[in-house]
Amino acid sequence: MAAVASCGSASTGSAVATASKSNVTSFQRRGPRASGTNDSGPRLVSIAGTRPSVRNGQLLVSTGLPALDQLLGGGLAIGTVLLIEEDKYNIYSPLLFKCFLAEGIVNGHTLLVASAKEDPANILQELPAPLLDDNSKKEFDEDVYNHKTPESNIKMKIAWRYQLLPKMEIGPVSSRFGHYYDASKRIPQELIEASNWHGFFLPEKVSSTLKVEPCSLTPGYIKLLQFIQNIISEEGFDGSNPQKKQRNVLRIGIQNLGSPLWGDDICCAENVSNSHSLTKFLYVLRGLLRTSLSACIITMPTHLIQNKAIIARVTNLSDIVIGLESFIGSERETNTLYKDYHGLIHIRQIPRLNNLICDESDVKDLAFKLKRKLFTIEVREFLCFSLQS
Amino acid sequence: VTLSEGARAGTGRELGMLDSLLSLGGLVLLRDSVEWEGRSLLKALIKKSALCGEQVHILGCEVSEEEFREGFDSDINNRLVYHDFFRDPLNWSKTEEALPGGPLGALRAICKRTDPGPVTIALDSLSWLLLHLPCTTLCQALHAVSHQDSCPGDSSPVGKVSVLGLLHEELHGPGPVGALSSLAQTEVTLGGTKGQASAHILCRRPRQRPTDQTQWFSILPDFSLDLQEGPSVESQPCSDPHIPPVDPTTHLTFNLHLSKKEREARDSLILPFQFSSEKQQALLRPRPGQATSHIFYEPDAYDDLDQEDPDDDLDI
Repeated sequence: MAAVASCGSASTGSAVATASKSNVTSFQRRGPRASGTNDSGPRLVSIAGTRPSVRNGQLLVSTGLPALDQLLGGGLAIGTVLLIEEDKYNIYSPLLFKCFLAEGIVNGHTLLVASAKEDPANILQELPAPLLDDNSKKEFDEDVYNHKTPESNIKMKIAWRYQLLPKMEIGPVSSRFGHYYDASKRIPQELIEASNWHGFFLPEKVSSTLKVEPCSLTPGYIKLLQFIQNIISEEGFDGSNPQKKQRNVLRIGIQNLGSPLWGDDICCAENVSNSHSLTKFLYVLRGLLRTSLSACIITMPTHLIQNKAIIARVTNLSDIVIGLESFIGSERETNTLYKDYHGLIHIRQIPRLNNLICDESDVKDLAFKLKRKLFTIEVREFLCFSLQS
Repeated sequence: VTLSEGARAGTGRELGMLDSLLSLGGLVLLRDSVEWEGRSLLKALIKKSALCGEQVHILGCEVSEEEFREGFDSDINNRLVYHDFFRDPLNWSKTEEALPGGPLGALRAICKRTDPGPVTIALDSLSWLLLHLPCTTLCQALHAVSHQDSCPGDSSPVGKVSVLGLLHEELHGPGPVGALSSLAQTEVTLGGTKGQASAHILCRRPRQRPTDQTQWFSILPDFSLDLQEGPSVESQPCSDPHIPPVDPTTHLTFNLHLSKKEREARDSLILPFQFSSEKQQALLRPRPGQATSHIFYEPDAYDDLDQEDPDDDLDI
């Protein structure tokens, strides 16, 4: 895995890739540095928007939501896949998807957006605008103030231990890692134009008359994998072309994977003829990610997948799995216990990267709400109020 | 507009939801069942859009053309463009009027038209297409048709495309129905009680919460739509929100209520774990007037008060 540790030198990454070529040794003398790099120390690899994990030195990128970063143990590790199980009406999962892409634009990462439903250019137009540092504290405080209903102002007298619970929402972070986004505004056009992005829109790439042989990938998946591989090798994310410019991270976003629009019929029938197409795709994708400086977010409509075994396999093949369950249309919408929130977040899986244990947070009872501007994740507080006198 | 259930069809704004089904564009899924059939609603919507001046194309697969056109008057019949796949679905007669590519080829040909203006395509029925075509191909074709108007920068400004699809829910498992409903912009599920038909309309706008509404209606013999109020409200007592909640403390043998004075006394009580400054001062200050108790201790011979070795276990 291309885990660029914080104390590794710049040539270590390329050394890993060229180890197969030069059988002598994997240690290489560090070549002359390219001009224009402003590394603070001789041994630090600093890519904008990344930071090493405090626990194991894994290089992390932000998911676009600082609260989610905190739940995942600091961020999304480079080389891993974040799978989001969509909510039933697909309202909140596109927001997480877009925050991930917007974070890439703000940090200057290269983006690769793949979708079978919408044109990637349209997706990029709808990204949320980042809250800048000086405004963000003001916006955040204003939102927190609006959030304080009269009930939450009651100091807890009997259930006083719950006041000591750590709050999930943290204050505005520095501008280096993790930004807040305003869901009601669009990202400025000049930021999109200044960014480097590649789009993959399935109806343009695949003609619909290809024959598929059984037990192989559907044509849409094959094309997408070839596209991703081309971008990775052309732009040097896997170290094959020595990068003249500053090293960068590729953020891949795939929307609605597994839906019928990709040509995959796991959502249509329970006993499908080609049930291994999606799992093979994820396996090959993970191999591509592990050998390059990239991170991937995938949204999948798992509520439509008929065969539960496929969902279990997909969960095992992804690194981080987050499920969104919105209250719309269910009886929980009118339930007073849930009235402050729009839905629940289930963290189904967190990876063990070079570790024996994974970095779970203590709180499992998480709910989200989409306020006027911000998307926040909080610990469900209903238990505290029900114990009040 | 939040989700609301029940037969609340009072305001004029809500009455218009069934009327404005076609104005949203995209795929409109009509889900019917054996008890509440949907073809008459489909024909009513076709008649409405034909009267609005839109182009109407019909892919007829399930019933014959004569049976479908029956009930429409002649000017509407002249406006309908009927593609017949019932008489010769596999194109065995090889006449020149047969469209290549089957129903999907006909769909794509309709979309490649060059004249602008809104178009309504009625699929009768989606169930027939699902049984004859792979589900993924059908979903991809429907998506391409219904989203054609949203791509900017086209040379020919094509109008809005609405696709009305009739789906018989009981013929399919949850998979295909779920896949099609996730593609649909609007979903109309037919139901009803006691001879009165209702349509439960679920509208999914792209980035907003879905809104739903139940609309009672009936279809007149000339296929015009008659919107109605629901059945009388007394027949649904369980949805009455004005039943007062039962107070469980009324018939108890002990008293659970607090008077105002008792409530104030309770609120001002300092709980034992709350450490306030008064408590701190009270603990630090020696209390006057309290009967202090002293402990008198006289060490006897066995007590060796060695501060360095209180347990007597050092072996020096």
